[in-house]
Amino acid sequence: MLRAGNISVMIRGKQILQDVSVQVLPGRFTAVVGPNGAGKSTLIKVLAGEISSTEGSIQINANEAASMSPKAMSLVRAVLPQHTQVHFAFTAEQVVLLGRQAHAATKNENSAVVGEVMELTGTSAFRSRIYHTLSGGEKQRVQLARVLAQVWEQTLYPRYLLLDEPTSSLDIAQQDIIFSLARLACTRNIGVLAIIHDLNQAVQFADEMVFLKCGRCVCAGAPPIVFTQSNIETTFGCPVNLYHLAGRSHPFMVPSHNPLADAPSFQPCIQFNNNVINQ
Amino acid sequence: MVGAISISDRHTRIVLAGLSAVLLGTTLFSLSVGAVQIPIGDVVLLLLQKLGLFHSSEVDQTFAIVMNSIRIPRIVMTLVIGGALGISGAALQGLFRNPLVEPSIIGVSGGAATGIVLVVVFGASWGLMQPGLFHDLLLPLVAFGAGLTATMAVLRMSKQLEQTNIAILVLMGVAVNALAGAVIGLAIFYADENQLRTFMFWTLGDLGGATVEKLSIAGPLLLIASVLLLRYGCSLNALVLGEAEAFHSGVDVERTKRHIVFLSALAVGVSVSLAGIIGFVGLVIPHLIRTLFYADNRLVLPASMLGGAWLLVISDVVARTIVSPAELPIGVVTALIGSPFFIVLLLRAKNRGEF
Repeated sequence: MLRAGNISVMIRGKQILQDVSVQVLPGRFTAVVGPNGAGKSTLIKVLAGEISSTEGSIQINANEAASMSPKAMSLVRAVLPQHTQVHFAFTAEQVVLLGRQAHAATKNENSAVVGEVMELTGTSAFRSRIYHTLSGGEKQRVQLARVLAQVWEQTLYPRYLLLDEPTSSLDIAQQDIIFSLARLACTRNIGVLAIIHDLNQAVQFADEMVFLKCGRCVCAGAPPIVFTQSNIETTFGCPVNLYHLAGRSHPFMVPSHNPLADAPSFQPCIQFNNNVINQ
Repeated sequence: MVGAISISDRHTRIVLAGLSAVLLGTTLFSLSVGAVQIPIGDVVLLLLQKLGLFHSSEVDQTFAIVMNSIRIPRIVMTLVIGGALGISGAALQGLFRNPLVEPSIIGVSGGAATGIVLVVVFGASWGLMQPGLFHDLLLPLVAFGAGLTATMAVLRMSKQLEQTNIAILVLMGVAVNALAGAVIGLAIFYADENQLRTFMFWTLGDLGGATVEKLSIAGPLLLIASVLLLRYGCSLNALVLGEAEAFHSGVDVERTKRHIVFLSALAVGVSVSLAGIIGFVGLVIPHLIRTLFYADNRLVLPASMLGGAWLLVISDVVARTIVSPAELPIGVVTALIGSPFFIVLLLRAKNRGEF
């Protein structure tokens, strides 16, 4: 299990996260939702070991993350950012191969893994093309192949995949591919945690949902329990309606605010310890 | 499938073997030309003899003396300096993820030049300019110390929330270099003719000062720094994706940054202390390797080492022969050969839409 226990993060006197606890279970898909500036990306950075928390601790498979080397950590978790730039002329395959950086594997083992994930992500066709000539969707699938390659191999211990709004600039078909592949990864003893902006998508893919607002956890649990009108309205400060469709197990959500009739209202973040939280 | 990866490895080996062959040929050529022309055959015989692989008394003794006392120390110095400049340029460009970075960006050359100019111009009044061993060692040591100090200051000032911020580091380097330029300008303003000439040697570079004694200290340092930099190919590849992504894939990014900056400062600092500031090698060569072959740092690092050595050897031949018996400053020649080349490269890259 990848576990964040009572995490608080303060950066330059600003409280970004306060007392947040999250569990990522192997084989489960956890979606983190919340408005901009809720601390979602910071939560991923803390879980990834990229920044350390001011209070609380991170455990990966019962090991304290703070005491793990970057290499040891890279063998149990991979991170897919929103957008990754490749600064020199690398081919798609070379980029995917970078996911195998820390593995003490032979060349053949590495290329077997790379071949498998590239096949799966539909990127083998352009494996020798230069990365920056690819389209946005192709690029993100190459990046997904890279992070899958990092944690793909079956091991005795569970691995984790952290996705930071991985589909923010993709069309709906590409979004569906990315999340479906992440779900597929769950079947390989991998726990997935994804920040998802589209609430309908989140409820469609997730086994667990975490609602964050102003650095605090509003609620967490299985979608049927937490995906409610009041939780969504509290978290996002936006009136919504939920609709049920025959044949679908979960409701879908539409903002009920009429943009032609009402002026929008802005809700400032609530205050903690006299610090205004808006980052 | 297996092919794609192993082919790239084979390509790397082929490119490196080719570059080594070109470098070897150029080196032999450089050893043979000069005031005394030595036939290539004799150059090879003398080298084999030096390595203890072959004995012959048929080679002219004048040739042997010229080779052993002048050309061999000079070519060894040229090779190790060129290699060190090439690889530190490649490593820093990879680290900064910017192909237009030169080793001087971390402040090392500016710092070294400032140290030198201060000692040359004001040293006499501090009683530092007595001839002798101390004097021979003083300027190299000052260059090395001042260069490394400037880089360490730049590195330290670029720390933000326990991490080295690369954007700040580059700007700090620019600021330190500008400051160094101002101090140098001020010193030149007060300098006399003799001091100006000494100073020109340091700012434009000179490979003529090679002696076995100097090389026995500086050579190993340059070689060690270069060889240690070779180990960062994989880490630099991961850094192509950015610092956070490199960390995610298992690279200790902070350590890599510190080590690469330190090793490059060591390499450039020692180079400056031996032969003054030689520009352009560290900027052009890695860029050239990337454009001609490919950007995998496991190739770019060793190939830049070979390429840097090659550019400096060929520049040295030009510097020694074109105005013979006088000698052009080496920095002038590397820039004369390097800049037009670089302009063409940039135009080509621009037209291919790489920018």
